[in-house]
Amino acid sequence: MKKIVRMVLVLTLLGLISGLALSLVSNYADPIIEENEKEATREAIYYVLKSADSYETEEVDGKVIYRALDSSGELVGYAFTASGGGYQGTIRLMVGVGPEVWKVKGIQILESSETPGLGGKIRGESFKSQFRDLVARGEIGLVKSGEPERGEIKAITGATISSKAVVKIINTELSRVRSILSTGGE
Amino acid sequence: MEYFFIFVAIVLTQNFVLHYFLGICPFLGVSDEMEGAFGMGIATTFVMTLTAIITWNINTFILEAFNVEFLEYVTFILVIASLVQLVEMFLRKYLPELYETLGIYLPLITTNCAVLGLALFMVLREYNFLESAIFGFGAGIGFTLALVIMAGIRGELSEEDIPKPFRGTAITLLVAGLLALAFMGFSGLVPS
Amino acid sequence: MQDFVRGLWKENPVFVQVLGMCPTLAVTTSLINGISMGLATTFVLVASGLVISSVRKLLPDQVRIASFMIIISSFVTVVKLLFEAHIPEISSQLGPYLPLIVTNCIILGRQEAFASKQPVGRSLLDALGMGIGFALALVVLGGVRELLYQGTIGGFQVFGTWYKSMVIMVMPAGAFISLSLLVALFQRISGRK
Repeated sequence: MKKIVRMVLVLTLLGLISGLALSLVSNYADPIIEENEKEATREAIYYVLKSADSYETEEVDGKVIYRALDSSGELVGYAFTASGGGYQGTIRLMVGVGPEVWKVKGIQILESSETPGLGGKIRGESFKSQFRDLVARGEIGLVKSGEPERGEIKAITGATISSKAVVKIINTELSRVRSILSTGGE
Repeated sequence: MEYFFIFVAIVLTQNFVLHYFLGICPFLGVSDEMEGAFGMGIATTFVMTLTAIITWNINTFILEAFNVEFLEYVTFILVIASLVQLVEMFLRKYLPELYETLGIYLPLITTNCAVLGLALFMVLREYNFLESAIFGFGAGIGFTLALVIMAGIRGELSEEDIPKPFRGTAITLLVAGLLALAFMGFSGLVPS
Repeated sequence: MQDFVRGLWKENPVFVQVLGMCPTLAVTTSLINGISMGLATTFVLVASGLVISSVRKLLPDQVRIASFMIIISSFVTVVKLLFEAHIPEISSQLGPYLPLIVTNCIILGRQEAFASKQPVGRSLLDALGMGIGFALALVVLGGVRELLYQGTIGGFQVFGTWYKSMVIMVMPAGAFISLSLLVALFQRISGRK
C-alpha cells in the first residue's frame, strides 16, 4: 500500500513540476513565436504586392483578406493565403491580386515540403515570377511544354504535379475571394 | 474516396518507415526473421490504431479546448506508454495465446518513434476523427509491410557471402535504400 | 574521462550502437540541419541525465520509465518552444522530427543504462560524450549528403559550377544508402567483426 501511495505521489509531483515549468517557458516563448509569424506574413504581403506601403487586415465571411495601400493611401490590391495538398504535403501560399481581382500580382510560398530539387523549385524565382502580373480573368492555365499563352504558366520540368497543385490552390481560393469581394467586401 | 487515399498514401507512397524514417529501430532490429517481423507489425498496428483514436480525443477535447498545447508531447508519450501497458495486461489476462506471440514486442513499442510520430502528424495535418483512425491503422499496416518485405529479403541474404564491413547493419540499410527507391515507384498513385 | 570518450568513437550511438536512426536519417539533408538536431539532442540528453541522476534514489522502480518519459518530454518541449521562438526557420525545417527526440532510443537508453545508476558527475560526462558522438555522426552524414546533392557544405560552394545536383541524395533512398556506406566505412576503419 505504501508503495502505491509513493508511486502516485512521485508521478503527480513530477507532472505538476513539469506542467508548471512548461507553462512558464510557453508564456515566454508564445509572444515571440506569434511575432515571428506576423513578421513572416508582413514580408510575404510586401513581396507579392510590390507597390504596397501598408496594409489593413480584415475578415470577410471567415476569410482573412489583407487590403494593401500605397504611400498615398490608394488601394493597390488584396493579399490572402491559400493552401492545399501538394505532392508531398500541404503547400501554403500568399497570393497578391490587383484591386479588380482579375490580375494576379505575385505569389509567395509560405510553407511546402515538396522534394528539394524537383517540386521544391516552386520556391524558385523563375517559377514564382511567372505569376507576376498574370492576367487571370477566369482560371489560370498550365502548360507542360511549349510556350505559355496569356493567362497560362509553364510547369516545372519533372515536377508537373507540384506545379499543377500550386495552380489549383490559387484557382480555388481566387474564385472564393472574388465572390467574397463582389458581394460583401467592397 | 478521401479516406481511401489517406490509407493508400500512408501504406505505399508515404510509408512511415521508407519515407518518413519512423520506426527504424525495430525495422532494423526485428527484421531478421519472418515470424518476429510479422508479430511486431501486428502488435504495432494494434497500438497505433488505438493511439490515433485516443490521442485525437485528448488533443481535441482537452489540449485544444483548454489551450494547453504545450503539454502535447508530455501527454502523448504518457498516453502511449500507458496504452502499451494496458494492452499488455489485457492480453496476458484474456488472450494468453496471443500474449505468448506478441508479448515480447510490446514494451519496445513505447519507444518506437512511429507511434509518437503518428500522433504528431495527425495534429499537424488537422485530421478529423475518422481520418485519424484510418491514418493510424494504415500507418501500422505500412509498417508491417515494410518489416515483412525486409525480413523476406534478409532471409535470402543470410545465405550470401557479404563483404565483411557490410555485415549486419550496413547491408540492411543498403537494402532499405533500395526498397525506398522501389517504393518511389508508387508515387503518383494518390492524386493531390 | 573514459565516460566521456566512450560515446565519441568506441560506442558511437549512430555508427556502432545503431540507435536514434529516425532523426539521423530524416533531418540530415544538410549540414546545418544535422548540427541543429545534434545540439538539440545533446541538450535534452544532458539536461535529463542531470535531473534523473540527481533524483534517482527518489524514483520508485515501477514508475521509473514513466518518470523518465515525463522528464525527457518536458525538456523536449522546452527545446521546441525555444527553437520556434529564436530560430523559426530551422524549427520549421526539422518539423515533427524535433519533438520526436522524445522517443530517440539513445536518450531513454542512456538514462536506463547509466544516469539512473550513477552519480551526477559521471552521468554528465556520459551524456555529453554520447550527445556529441551523436551530433558528430549527424554532421558527417549531413555534410556528405549536402555535398553530393548540390556540391556545397554548409551553403558554401565546394565543387565548381560543373557539378550537376544529385537529387537522390536528399530523398529517403539516398539517406539509407549513404548511412549504409558510412557504417561500412566505420566498421572497416575500426576493423571490427
